[in-house]
Amino acid sequence: MALFAELRRRNVLKVALLYVVASWLLLWIVRSGAIIRGLPVWTETFVLLLVSIGFPVALIFAWTYEITPAGLKKAVDVDQTMSIVYKTGQKLNAAVAVLLVLGLLAVFGERLLPKFEFLVPGTPQGERPVTAATPAEIRSLTLANGLKIIVWPDHDIPNVVMYNFVRAGGRNEYPGITGLSHFFEHMMFNGTSNREPGEFDRIMEAAGGANNAYTSNDVTVYQDWFPRSALELIFDLESDRLQNLTSDAAVVESERGVVYSERRTSIDNNNFRRLLEQMYATAFIAHPYQFPVLGWPSDIEAWTAADLSNYFRTYYAPNNYTMIFTGDVTPGEIFALAEKYFGPIPAHEPPAQIRTVEPEQQGMRRIIVEVDAQTPLLHMAFHAGSATDPETLPLSLLLNILVGGDSSRLHRLLVEEEQSVISVGGYQDEGFDPGLAYFYLTLPPGGDLAAVEQRMLEELRRVADDGVTDAELSKAQNILLADFWRGLATINGKASALGNFEVFNGDYELLFKLPEHVRAISADDLREVAAQFFRPRNMTVGILRSPPDAETKE
Amino acid sequence: MKRPPLAFLAMAALLVVATARGQGMALPEFERIELDNGAIILLHEKHDVPLIGVEVIIRGGASNDPEGLAGLSGLLAGLLEKGAGDRDAAEFAESVAAVGGELSASGALEAITISGEFLADDADLLVELLADMLRRPALDAAEMDKLRKRLINFIRAAKDSRLGRLVPIYGNAFLFGDHPYGNPASGSEESLGKIKHRDLLGYYRDYIGADRLIIAVAGDFDSAAMKKNLTSAFGDWRKAPAALIEVTAPIPRTGRRVLLVDKPGATQTYFWIANVGVAIDYPRRAELDIANTVFGGRFTSMLNTELRIKSGLTYGARSTLTRPAQPGSVAIYSYTKTDSTVAAIDMALGVLSDLRATGIDAEMIQSAKNYILGQFPPRLETASQLAGILTQLEHMNLDVSYIDDYGAAVAGADSEIIAAVINDVYPALDDLVFVLLGDAELIREAVTKYGPVTEMSITAPRFRP
Repeated sequence: MALFAELRRRNVLKVALLYVVASWLLLWIVRSGAIIRGLPVWTETFVLLLVSIGFPVALIFAWTYEITPAGLKKAVDVDQTMSIVYKTGQKLNAAVAVLLVLGLLAVFGERLLPKFEFLVPGTPQGERPVTAATPAEIRSLTLANGLKIIVWPDHDIPNVVMYNFVRAGGRNEYPGITGLSHFFEHMMFNGTSNREPGEFDRIMEAAGGANNAYTSNDVTVYQDWFPRSALELIFDLESDRLQNLTSDAAVVESERGVVYSERRTSIDNNNFRRLLEQMYATAFIAHPYQFPVLGWPSDIEAWTAADLSNYFRTYYAPNNYTMIFTGDVTPGEIFALAEKYFGPIPAHEPPAQIRTVEPEQQGMRRIIVEVDAQTPLLHMAFHAGSATDPETLPLSLLLNILVGGDSSRLHRLLVEEEQSVISVGGYQDEGFDPGLAYFYLTLPPGGDLAAVEQRMLEELRRVADDGVTDAELSKAQNILLADFWRGLATINGKASALGNFEVFNGDYELLFKLPEHVRAISADDLREVAAQFFRPRNMTVGILRSPPDAETKE
Repeated sequence: MKRPPLAFLAMAALLVVATARGQGMALPEFERIELDNGAIILLHEKHDVPLIGVEVIIRGGASNDPEGLAGLSGLLAGLLEKGAGDRDAAEFAESVAAVGGELSASGALEAITISGEFLADDADLLVELLADMLRRPALDAAEMDKLRKRLINFIRAAKDSRLGRLVPIYGNAFLFGDHPYGNPASGSEESLGKIKHRDLLGYYRDYIGADRLIIAVAGDFDSAAMKKNLTSAFGDWRKAPAALIEVTAPIPRTGRRVLLVDKPGATQTYFWIANVGVAIDYPRRAELDIANTVFGGRFTSMLNTELRIKSGLTYGARSTLTRPAQPGSVAIYSYTKTDSTVAAIDMALGVLSDLRATGIDAEMIQSAKNYILGQFPPRLETASQLAGILTQLEHMNLDVSYIDDYGAAVAGADSEIIAAVINDVYPALDDLVFVLLGDAELIREAVTKYGPVTEMSITAPRFRP
């Protein structure tokens, strides 16, 4: 009891309490990322280790030393009658209380806030949530072999989404191997030295997971949607196909048939896609964006096993991957699994850069596709920017004003007022290299293609000359912002958005700057991009219609 | 792409519901209010993103369209957006877009539906627009004429570019014949052309009213305020004066018959092989979902394994179940290059025969259970999804056990019952309706082996011969 009394007298117990409370607060700050962002994952463990080691040291120090009016002295040297340990104790009590209040406020205060923690209120637009901050719980890590992993935990449902962006797509192709990126995407499901063709899907589905993949001009993206219970299995399957992919000759032949069927379905028996394919082949004369992602038929028929293995060696390496995990996971477990399954896979020599730059267009280009068609099509394309060009965001607002939905300018004019087309739409490419701003219109049977083209040119010239109204700008901004929130309502949307911003804009955190970037754009910016891009010299026009009667029978 | 978009999400048309928090998949709490005039309001607050999702059902859709006027309820749905209250069509579209909202109405087989999503701040506007659409639509004659023309031309455009979408429409028309389930929700070029403005006004007057209305709102709003707002918007609405057409159970087809839709120059044949299946209240839903997952409901299904993975004949093959209030269709759907038409159809029939003769082994049953349970939670992830499920349950007179007990039913499904369900639901090989869309000149002879062939041109302005 004497020892206990002395511990109390020398404030050792109070120091211990203060230490515990302060450590708890410190750990909370580190874990929540509330003050410092972007700490490495091991920070939390490291801090825990430090405070654990510090605890006995602090206690011994408190026992040994005592604060006196003359400064710090060894407790045994202090005259007991002059001791101010009582006052020091009071100060310690106050410190504990203050820290406790701070800690409780921080922890419970956060819970009382709306759940969308990354929302920053108080914008010039009133209460409309137009600003966002990067959610503190998102973490990223790059392994020594160059594999980058980004994790956004979200525990609403017991499921996980994985997106793996591979930097390889149509732009990495050349005549002879057009469509190979997409064919390769199919072959990634067709067997490794550990697993028979088809096992990848059978194993994943039997564990409750599903998958898909897509190939674009720029990237190939693999997607897995699965219950949390299948997490380690997914790492096993994904790392296995990166390390041990095989291509069985019979499977290559069978999959060739599948891809050809895909081409027949989505292009050859689809007038819209037929014309689109010819448009890209015309608008680009040098850059590989001219090739269809599905490949030209003769290349689909001809590519070889050697083409596949070359492609695999060149592009399928951890340093060419960006993996996103969202859902019911923690960054710690994902990083540990990534290290275990992908860490041992060596980096490859980075693929060669795409050197070809599309030369400036020197005059309008025009194509005609003649096939049986009840409804003629008119497509118009203009060379525009890449994902990172400053014109890209104003152009997406402008396209929204022109063709985004029933209240848009061109819909109102051409569909509702003049009834010269039955639908009008548009988009822009946002890839690594400058792509197209694209308009597509469907005319009623017998529609006047030349007249509609003329009206389109007039309207595009008008927006380049006169710009847009403030109301139009504000509407387009609101639509983009609402789309931003819609995109983040699911773990799938979160994975897609993070991955696209990381890969195409170079930094996933830019995703959360989007609302303020959208708000910062002026009507003048829109007029300028219209004037810059919507020029006849920069345009490719394509029409699709039935051949004149004389030519129908060949 | 590895597989056709949405192909496998479409595996059961109405309510593809399974559930999953492990075994504890369940609907969250929601509030159900029935107004004196019969309107049903369903509310659920969810504050993860600042959005409000709304789903509305007006009972009665294409199956209630008057004879010869298929597409009337769908046309009415489209017109609800073309001017309402004090706003004309342009102003209405502008009001929605100006705040970044989405609101659209469409016609389905058994309902007119409205789906919307607005930012949280715009809850009042959302209610105002909904009430205007439903209670004060302009139904202007010129707007009707314009929309009707456009819908007709959309069908023609689909015949140029969206063949896969048309095949089940031809299919249902051929399978169900004069039964209301044969009506295309989109209408046909011919039936849309016949609709008069007075038909539209008459349909609105007779069939649209509070006792047909189900509204589900889910998302970032205050329930008490929303309830008050919706009650005052719809509380004094009239009931619909006329009864809906009573839809009886369609009779399954016996024997075989073939509809060949000729599209000259098509380089592949699309095929749909079907018979009458089951209704939404089929008591062995979990067992049937397991069977369909294995047969044609996922990538490694029996159909996709044979027709795509092993043989490379197609990009995708699947089986679909539509489950409306009365029995809908059970169908096999795929496509293949013209010269492998017969090979692919024979193979599909072989898989159907195997399913019925051999059934599904225990390992595959377990795999399908895991798959259904593992893929369910993302279907109840967002406010809009939840609003959709709530309206469908109400519409089909199902209670929460339809969701809440489903996980346990899937997990506990018994192999013998699954075998019985397979033979109960999937048609015998002698009783099949075939719809083939392709270049008739090249396949006409070969497909006579499947049964008597009726032929029509894709340019015919209707979906039945």
